[in-house]
Amino acid sequence: MSQPVRPIAAGPRRRSRLLFTIIAVMSALALFATACGSDAADTATEVLSDTVTSDDAATSDEAAEPEAAEPAAEDTAGDQAVDTSLNEEELEDLGSDDANVAAVDSGPVAGGTLVIGSTQIPRHLNGTVQSGLATAVPGTQLNASPLLFDENFNPQPYLAESWVVADDGLSVTLNLVEGAVFHDGMPITSEDVAFSVITARDNHPFKTMFAPVTDVATPDPQTAVINLSQSHPAILLAMSPGLLPIIPKHIFDDGQDMATHPRNTEDFVGSGPFKLVEYEAGTIIRMEKFDDFFIPERPYLDEIIIEINSDPTAIVLGLENGTTHVSTTMGSAANILRLQDNPDVVVTAEGHEAIGQVQWLEFNVADPILSDQAVRQAIAYAIDREFLADVIDQGTTFPATTGIVASSPFHNAASEAYDVDLDAARALLADAGYADGDISLTIDYIPPQQAPYAEYVVQALEEIGITTELNVSPDFPTWAERVAKGEHQMTINNVWNWGDPVIGVHRTYLSSNRVGAIWTNNTGYENAEVDALLDKAAQEFDRDARIEIYGEFQDIVNEDVPIYFLTTPPFWQAYNPAVQNPSVGIWGLMSPMHEVWLAQQ
Amino acid sequence: MKRFAIRILWSIGLVLAVIFLNFSLIHLAPGDPATVIAGESGAGDPAVIDQIRADYGLDRSFVAQLASYVVRVAQGDLGDSFFFNQSVVSLIWARLWPTILLVATALIFAIVVGVLVGIFTARRPESRLSHSATILALAGYSMPVFWTGLMLVILFASVFKVLPISGMRDVQFDGGLLASWVDIGKHLILPAFTLGFLFLAQYSRLARASMLEVLQSDFVRTARSKGLSERVVVYKHALRNAVIPVVTVAGLQFGTMLSGAILVETVFNWPGLGRLAFDAVLRRDAPVLLGVLLVSTLLVIVVNLLTDVVYRIIDPRIRVGGAAA
Amino acid sequence: MSDLMLGSGAEAMAPPGREAWRMFFRNKAAVAGLFLLLGVILMTFLGPYVYDEDPKDIVARPLKGPGTEDVPGLGTDYLGRDVLAGVVNGGLTSLRVAAIAAALIVMIGVTIGAVSGFYGGVIDNALMRFTEVFQVLPALLFAMVVVALFGPSPWKVSIAIGLVLWPQLARLTRAEFLRLKNMEFVKAAQAIGSSDLRIIMRVILPNALPPLIVATTLVMGGAILLEAGLAFLGLGDANEVSWGLMIGQNRTNFITSWWTVTFPGLAIFVTVLSFSLIGDGLQDAFNPKLRGR
Repeated sequence: MSQPVRPIAAGPRRRSRLLFTIIAVMSALALFATACGSDAADTATEVLSDTVTSDDAATSDEAAEPEAAEPAAEDTAGDQAVDTSLNEEELEDLGSDDANVAAVDSGPVAGGTLVIGSTQIPRHLNGTVQSGLATAVPGTQLNASPLLFDENFNPQPYLAESWVVADDGLSVTLNLVEGAVFHDGMPITSEDVAFSVITARDNHPFKTMFAPVTDVATPDPQTAVINLSQSHPAILLAMSPGLLPIIPKHIFDDGQDMATHPRNTEDFVGSGPFKLVEYEAGTIIRMEKFDDFFIPERPYLDEIIIEINSDPTAIVLGLENGTTHVSTTMGSAANILRLQDNPDVVVTAEGHEAIGQVQWLEFNVADPILSDQAVRQAIAYAIDREFLADVIDQGTTFPATTGIVASSPFHNAASEAYDVDLDAARALLADAGYADGDISLTIDYIPPQQAPYAEYVVQALEEIGITTELNVSPDFPTWAERVAKGEHQMTINNVWNWGDPVIGVHRTYLSSNRVGAIWTNNTGYENAEVDALLDKAAQEFDRDARIEIYGEFQDIVNEDVPIYFLTTPPFWQAYNPAVQNPSVGIWGLMSPMHEVWLAQQ
Repeated sequence: MKRFAIRILWSIGLVLAVIFLNFSLIHLAPGDPATVIAGESGAGDPAVIDQIRADYGLDRSFVAQLASYVVRVAQGDLGDSFFFNQSVVSLIWARLWPTILLVATALIFAIVVGVLVGIFTARRPESRLSHSATILALAGYSMPVFWTGLMLVILFASVFKVLPISGMRDVQFDGGLLASWVDIGKHLILPAFTLGFLFLAQYSRLARASMLEVLQSDFVRTARSKGLSERVVVYKHALRNAVIPVVTVAGLQFGTMLSGAILVETVFNWPGLGRLAFDAVLRRDAPVLLGVLLVSTLLVIVVNLLTDVVYRIIDPRIRVGGAAA
Repeated sequence: MSDLMLGSGAEAMAPPGREAWRMFFRNKAAVAGLFLLLGVILMTFLGPYVYDEDPKDIVARPLKGPGTEDVPGLGTDYLGRDVLAGVVNGGLTSLRVAAIAAALIVMIGVTIGAVSGFYGGVIDNALMRFTEVFQVLPALLFAMVVVALFGPSPWKVSIAIGLVLWPQLARLTRAEFLRLKNMEFVKAAQAIGSSDLRIIMRVILPNALPPLIVATTLVMGGAILLEAGLAFLGLGDANEVSWGLMIGQNRTNFITSWWTVTFPGLAIFVTVLSFSLIGDGLQDAFNPKLRGR
């Protein structure tokens, strides 16, 4: 048994093969080590600028509100300053980055494939029953809506070539474009508009959008009259492409439940500039130009592909090497800044103003400790939102002082902002009867992207003697359920305005909306004066009057501080310089891209 | 044959047990699926949530739900996803073969290289190269697979920009069938290597152990004394003995590979079952989760059965070849 | 994973004699592993006192690399926290979770394996079927489900890991018991009337120890990897610092800030490697056949 093993002459081929394998592996490791070294140098110089990191500042919308409506963006030409006199050679010479992209001096050319990189996964493609960015980006390519909106929030014709709001505000008449057809060739009529409105009213999670609609009359195929039970100025914005896609009645009206209708993804037939050719759940959505689109000679693009990638880093890399052309989901601030420094990518905060994301800290006012307004105010004084925006988010978000975003005409900049003041905080706590170190609270947050904010709050509150513990939910549904049931004390949250405050703002403060579902009135806040103001503003058509009413509303809410507002993340968008007429309107990517074209490189 | 039939029956029982275990687990857990579904659509009020509960049959008793689930599974219906507007079967079907491709490639890579390294270290157990190879292989096993993946991504995204680091295909790919396979192949390299590297160590150790045993066995000594060339001895007889245990163990390890695939698919954005499962866990998409657990368990059981069969077929030859000295 | 390492050597392990220990210490790799493990343990338990920065404190601007001025040794993470402090303190969580999980695995696995191997027959059959149910479940997936459903507290993570890794140890123990129960010394003990329990615990088990010890060291490594994997996927306790969590939290930044994931990963790697080297060395030492002499 124990005969020594004689040295065996191995076949030369096999031995060298082995050696090669081992050498290859070792060289790879060695190269890797050097690569790490050079990587460090590069990164050190890149990130030395004073920026704050944050995780997913602009992209926490995966969990956040479903999509908002997208009024038109590209109708007006002036969305971007355009240098007219650079030809293609000079374009190539442009060494520096973004700022404004020079347009080629030839006009729009037809053709090309646009690749959008996104981390958002849509559930399906039917926006009448589903809200959110994920559904609306493909949804607005596949479906048209009555109206588009320009950068001043003014309605523009789309499927409705004209419209009339009655003097009493109780009806809106839409006159549809002649000759518009669906992707299967059937004509788009007022019956389809009526069907879509009623479907949205009955199924869309944003109840306030179409709640006052009593019925939709269809006197002739080109005319639809929406009848309302009360004056409802928000109805116009609610007819944006992302909020009211016009879907084909002849396909969907078959008695099946709209929320789970198989045609929501299978062989989807829509009314928009692009038609669906490939859909793989969670992976890719491929759309091709619809030749019979009702706007002649549009769209310019041959194809739009939405590539879904769970890793924002891969999207960033795709943007850098030109395989991805557009994205709004770049992940953390560090990635955004990295792209900003890259001359091959344009990065802008312009666009998506109508979405109005607000990140805030909300209190459960039913909680014994937090029911005391003084405690809430103390916490407000202890938190430095500038630190969050400038340091943690590296300057990629902006401080938010009220629940209505600063880019909205209704924002009140004068409401009490509780700028950081630790002494005031401590004084308030002392007056409320809590000696230092006496309070213990828990804080929740939407996992995982809001962790930095929550962790910062823990540290900030420690300064004034409040011990806070993080309550970690493993996933979004766990967090949502906890907050919906009021089992939390404090939570970071991300809620969207959705253009008109009626759609996205009222739901948080109305005492009648304490219904135990997420993104309703989860604080338990109740103020009769606020209820009355919101009700009034919902029916007031005069914009200036509305501004005043909402101004008062924000003053009261900030005084009561059921919520302490933190930051507004803009929707950073990165795109390839070849993309002309990029979607930077008030609804951003949730807009039909029939005016977008690709410059030849 | 009869034994085989009994095995199959046991396997069916096993599947049922797994279904029961997973179903119970998911239903025992705190949390209300109806609220989850409502949240996924964007918002909800109690009426909507109650409607959802009725629609999805969530208001029935546990036993009723379990029974109806089993009946449907028997008919090939795994239910509909809470999140996607699709049947679970169609979702799994679309993601199944990318995962199988990934795992199979990783397995083949690990087996081939593992056996080669194992043979080499067996023949020269004290050489420095052998020690290095051993440590390298052990390193592969000790590195967290997601970390290896991330390091490779950094390497190939920033330094050697020669391989794609994400996805399975080039989205703008516009070529013929053969070119399409090449495209997938390019995307497959890094994820398969990452996953395979993990198991390399074990297979090389196993091959080494078997080789050592065989090289000292009577059979080999006899062959050598008969004057057969070294090459023949090693290649034909010892090699076979080195490979077989590796292959059988690899088959039994299929489940572990599937686990590793979850992490690899997440890092490389490979559109497989692993990612589907991960997303489903985070979204509390119970039907998809149950479906994936079921399918992966089925796969493991099938591969185990096959491995058993293969082993039995080859077994007698091992006994002839390498009896313990 | 443990039974793979043992492969064909499991049947013939001898109880560790002096010869075996000498073998072990002459094995350079094994000794290296021992030193590595010692290093890790020292760092975990003494490190926080030597380098007493609080890993959860925001100390500088986020995502600054090592070597930047005003920035601690290994750089800062996405929140501006000290990466070195994270590495030094992260070990405790990972090791603790892994140790508790390993203890659970050993307790459940050895018990079931021993009973199954010793009694055989119907009990064996039933227990093995039961084991199979857990063995066919893909480990990480099942652990993910358990943690996601029941919460990510350290105890629950340990339990989840324990639930998925015990079958291998059970099989191994059973194999050993099957091999040993027919040996002379066992028959002798039975002849003098020792109780079953005594025979299992005092007679067979000590002789079955070598492969079990090897398996346990490897299981520790596996548990650490599983915990890291769960944390990486976001299913860890965010109130504690852990290496896997560090990698997961900084994942979206890793392409710009490699140090945030490289160092925690290295820590995991070194720890698991030490267990692997030791286990490997033990296996070689206990099994003369594998020494290649």
